[in-house]
Amino acid sequence: MTDTLVRPAPEQPKIVDNRAKLWPRVVVAVLAAPVIFGAFAAAKGVDPLAMYADMVRSLADPAQAQTVLVRASVLVLAALAVAVPARAGLLNVGGEGQIVIGAVCAAGVGLVTDQRLPGPVVLTLMIVAAMVGGAAWAGIAAGLRLTVKVNEAITTLLMNFIAIDIMLLLIYDPWKDASGFGQPASRPLEDTARLPLFVPGGTLNTGIVVAGIALVAIWWLMSRTGWGFRLRVVGGNPEAARRAGLRVGTLLVTSMLVGGALAGLAGLVHFAGTEFKLRPGMTANFGYVGFLASWLALHRPLRVASAALLLAAIAMAGDSLQIDANLPAASVNVLMAMVLLVVLGFTRRSKK
Amino acid sequence: MIVDVLTGGVRGGTAILYAALGETIAERAGVINLGTEGSMLTGALAAYAVTAETGSPWAGVVAGAAAGGLLALVHAVMVLGRAANQLATGLVVLFLGLGLTSMFGAAYVGRAISPFQPYPVPLLADIPWLGPIFFQHDPLVYGSYLLAPAIWWLLYRSRVGLTIRGAGERGEVLTAYGHSPQLVRYLAVVTGGLLAGVGGAHLSTAYANAWFEGMTAGRGFIAVALVIFAAWHPLRAVGGAYLFGAALALSPALQARGLGFNQFALDALPYLVTIAALVLLGRRRSNAAPEGLSRVFELTPAK
Repeated sequence: MTDTLVRPAPEQPKIVDNRAKLWPRVVVAVLAAPVIFGAFAAAKGVDPLAMYADMVRSLADPAQAQTVLVRASVLVLAALAVAVPARAGLLNVGGEGQIVIGAVCAAGVGLVTDQRLPGPVVLTLMIVAAMVGGAAWAGIAAGLRLTVKVNEAITTLLMNFIAIDIMLLLIYDPWKDASGFGQPASRPLEDTARLPLFVPGGTLNTGIVVAGIALVAIWWLMSRTGWGFRLRVVGGNPEAARRAGLRVGTLLVTSMLVGGALAGLAGLVHFAGTEFKLRPGMTANFGYVGFLASWLALHRPLRVASAALLLAAIAMAGDSLQIDANLPAASVNVLMAMVLLVVLGFTRRSKK
Repeated sequence: MIVDVLTGGVRGGTAILYAALGETIAERAGVINLGTEGSMLTGALAAYAVTAETGSPWAGVVAGAAAGGLLALVHAVMVLGRAANQLATGLVVLFLGLGLTSMFGAAYVGRAISPFQPYPVPLLADIPWLGPIFFQHDPLVYGSYLLAPAIWWLLYRSRVGLTIRGAGERGEVLTAYGHSPQLVRYLAVVTGGLLAGVGGAHLSTAYANAWFEGMTAGRGFIAVALVIFAAWHPLRAVGGAYLFGAALALSPALQARGLGFNQFALDALPYLVTIAALVLLGRRRSNAAPEGLSRVFELTPAK
């Protein structure tokens, strides 16, 4: 009788917490990537441990740390530009082009108005121009997707190259700075129209506030509004969404427009906060790195912030590579790619 | 002038053609690889480095193919082994290629090599117009003339091709016949990388005869777009690749004649042409897409 009483309790259904399962994998990712990159560095005759020590030390420097934050704010915006359309199931690979167009529109407005109007007015106009420009550029791809069913990943990607050519066309001729010693670049933006700095003489500008506001706004839109919910429904199952009476086309286009506007804003923050003039190569792959940051964050707005910080820190550490280890700065792309490979390879499985 | 542009089109289009032919195989098996750009880059560097060290551009091509294939293997493992998103992984693989080539390529910037020499085909090279356009090139260009029909035959007239297309359309059917669709896809992606590597090799050891960081300048992306533009057909890819090559050759040809046309407007032309072609061919394209690939794109019903 007593024997039957100590029967093991019926098995509880196992609750799998994906979040708890994710963390060990993140730790693996964080470890695996540096080990592999270290091996490559060792193959180049660089002591990996000393290299990492230099990288970390360079980030501890206040000036460098500021630069990381500056880059991260642009990256946050570039990543959100990917995350919003991704929620609706669209792939925006065109961040780079939308950033360029945003910067070009901002510069165009800035060059016309910055010597005539007060700074804050110019800045406001530039923000509007950059967002409209970025949205329009992304909107072309969304429109093609809806009307002729051309995949947006391919069109946004190709349009990046067109955007860069448009910028080059402008700065090699009509917008070229006459007093720029023949360099292909536009005239620098007047001081008054630049994004204000936090510390005079530093590099940290109010772009980080812009990025922070955008981050909270997108988080709120995505998780607290009907629009965000409908977007997720479309992304989850477009057929079901259509049958439920959602206007799938409108939702797809608006998500892409919001994404483009965010990328345009990233272009503005980079232009009016750091560069002040258009020059070849100014966008420094922000669009592509932002795309990867969004994937790293699984398109969740709040996680985007940490992903952007991580990637900005890695990119910044690349500059120390060039100085201390005599490796080209672009070498850190290997480290970044390894981190992402591990994350992409492991998070997808945990969803199954 | 027209002959110049068309000659340049064939010469400049060859690298894109190799990559596009390789990508056609991969996409027919249901895997899109944006890392093609990275495979071309690593192929270009490996070919250049090996040519510089050994003095033989042929050894360079072999090395380039191997490097391109290896990078594509990374994509294959991630996408097929770990079920990662194909487009995102492709971009990551591109970054990996960018980083690796900048890391190991710095030593070869500005180094001289003995590149491929043009080899005019006897008799054919003397035909007016067609001779210079098609038959006064380096051996890799002639190789691509043979490769395109060979891949067409492979895909449409051979058992192997049936297996590849089967893996792209309905993997389950292959399983039912005792084949492994995953294995077929692995091989297709790696083959795609090998050919992209050869394309990169053509770029560094026959076209530009130099190595510099990021020298492929989006040609790999163009190759991927071209495959879709060609509706996954290897022979149509030939025309598309030469169209791109011609657009690339147009601006130096115009400038050489002192025609003041803005260089950057012309540089944007290949991309505009692709988008325009995608738009025009939109309908046919979506029908021709391998089933497995449509699933990747998650073509939401656009209403």
